[in-house]
Amino acid sequence: MITLQLLINGVALGAAYALVALGFVLVLNATSAVNFAQGDLVMAGGLLAVALAPHIPLPGIALLPLTILLMAALGLILALAAYLPLRNRPPVGVFISTIATGIILQNGATILFGPEPRAAPPLFSGGTVSVGGLTVAEQSLAIIAVAAILIAAQQWVFARTQLGRRLRATAQDPEMARACGVPVTAMILVTFALGTAYAGAAGLLLANRYFVTPTAGGDLILKAYIAVTIGGWGSVPGAVVGALLIALFEVGVSSVLSYPVALGALYATLLVILVARPQGLFGEAARRRA
Amino acid sequence: MRRLLPVLLGLAIAAAGPARAESLSFPVLVPLTGFLSLEGTSQRNGAVLALKDAPASVTISSDVIDTGTSPEAAVTALERAAGRNVAAVAASMLGTQMLAMLPLAAEYKIPLVTVSGTASITEQGNPWVFRFFPGDAVTKEAHARYVVEELGKKRPALIYQTTAYGQSGKAHLTEAFKSLGADLVFEEGVDPAAKDLLPVLTKALAAKPDVLVLHLHSGPTALFIRQAAANGVEVPIVAGSAMHQPSTAALLEPAELKGVCAETAASPISGGSPEVEDFTAAYRSAFNTEPDAFALGQYDGMRMVLEAVKAGARTPDDIRKALSTGTHRGLAMTYRSDGKGNMAHSAVIVCYDGTSRVPKIAKRYDNVTGVVK
Repeated sequence: MITLQLLINGVALGAAYALVALGFVLVLNATSAVNFAQGDLVMAGGLLAVALAPHIPLPGIALLPLTILLMAALGLILALAAYLPLRNRPPVGVFISTIATGIILQNGATILFGPEPRAAPPLFSGGTVSVGGLTVAEQSLAIIAVAAILIAAQQWVFARTQLGRRLRATAQDPEMARACGVPVTAMILVTFALGTAYAGAAGLLLANRYFVTPTAGGDLILKAYIAVTIGGWGSVPGAVVGALLIALFEVGVSSVLSYPVALGALYATLLVILVARPQGLFGEAARRRA
Repeated sequence: MRRLLPVLLGLAIAAAGPARAESLSFPVLVPLTGFLSLEGTSQRNGAVLALKDAPASVTISSDVIDTGTSPEAAVTALERAAGRNVAAVAASMLGTQMLAMLPLAAEYKIPLVTVSGTASITEQGNPWVFRFFPGDAVTKEAHARYVVEELGKKRPALIYQTTAYGQSGKAHLTEAFKSLGADLVFEEGVDPAAKDLLPVLTKALAAKPDVLVLHLHSGPTALFIRQAAANGVEVPIVAGSAMHQPSTAALLEPAELKGVCAETAASPISGGSPEVEDFTAAYRSAFNTEPDAFALGQYDGMRMVLEAVKAGARTPDDIRKALSTGTHRGLAMTYRSDGKGNMAHSAVIVCYDGTSRVPKIAKRYDNVTGVVK
């Protein structure tokens, strides 16, 4: 019974990580730039939900659309301020500007909210569900459901809509897309908005169960980076699988071995994947793109 | 003219104003950003509140400088602050920063008043450091003694953080429990970034402990207690000092806290005396937040410094001598140096009754030596 409980917890954590990694990989694909501020954007989403909660005394599920919308706006600002002015410069410029953005967000959050850990409202009631001796946090089930819906929506938009086709074209070859009449700059702005919106959703989901502090982003960007490396640099399904794998180690392996050993095993697995399959588990798409 | 002379003299004196008070500087060099910003902010607030009420004979200035979390930043902050009539410094609670600042403090001959818990800062033979917070030797003895002597538990399971803070607490707790005849039935370190603590909780319970002993940071402490409550764990929990911080309790529902106890140097929000209640009210009014033991420890430390100034100390060396040899009855406890700069030798155990987030003091341990007999 406890195994099932751990499995649900692990999948819930992996689902939230998947949203973080998804936002990261969307921007990576569209711009070839690593957005090092992604973890801090997740933190910002969590704290935004904390700030909105007293003004909108409704369950977190009602806050989610507003959080996503406001974070998408922040993504546009991020693109306009930290990416577009540097897009034709060496890539290191964008790396540094996103790192700087992350530091600004972190210190801004400390000034605005203070350094204390905070909890966002639960998506629904925040209680537990007991089924035949199995006690599961309602929030865990809600995280899985919401993340699945958001990931499926992203897949649908990318696969079935004109906007999605334009976004994919921009991600695959911006020059060719531009030559075919795709408004590449607008698509990059939309991608930043989407990636940041996913970060905001992840922030809200994580901040209830696992709390949020202004310094929480550093750990999350590391996990997103590992997830994308495991899954395949640039692969969207790979990012999701990579995120679930990280959570499996954090929750599953650590329930058998100790947490530090589980963390060591995760990095050892990462090394094995890099040696045996450098392109990652789903790296074919990335290779074709290159 | 003779009649005018006293009047002119009086006007001249009035124009000159009262005798100019001596000016002393007490910089506050603490981590306000980074992973220790929560505790560093408490430290800053405690120092600033203490310095608001300076003796009339001196003019106090106190620049606040954020030291971040790197030793270099702390050293730079001390270099910036030194040489401006500095009498004493409220110094970072981060052990690595203190260790970096100590040689400079000895060179500049400036007393460092801190609430750092790192044992080694007072083991360097440096006469310029004064710690107004009990180290792990004191708090972990109280922690273990409460578990064994008051709760009568003999099968503790210890969950600690893998950081330097966690390792130090683990070492002291292991030793203290061993001395008390209660060997640990389970022990495991947890990374502060761990999001789900159900795995470690499950393994700890599998070892059939009669008490869960925590030595975790704020967020992980709240997370562990929440998951234990959600899973209906009935084994008592005695947590480390992070639990007493009001910001930790704020993450949990009062019902989730029922029966949870924690060690700490002090719990200002629990009251205990009119003076402590006045401090808490003044702190809330000034900073719009709740005080914790770090704030009170730093407040007491700076008050002892100001008492020395009030008694005539004007140079850093005067203040060092006063701190080294004097006794100060602070709000949290009575402070006296053990010869190494360790000023605090008391700890308390607080417990939550499940109806509020304000704990009650369950047991007080004074004159703790850190050596369990």
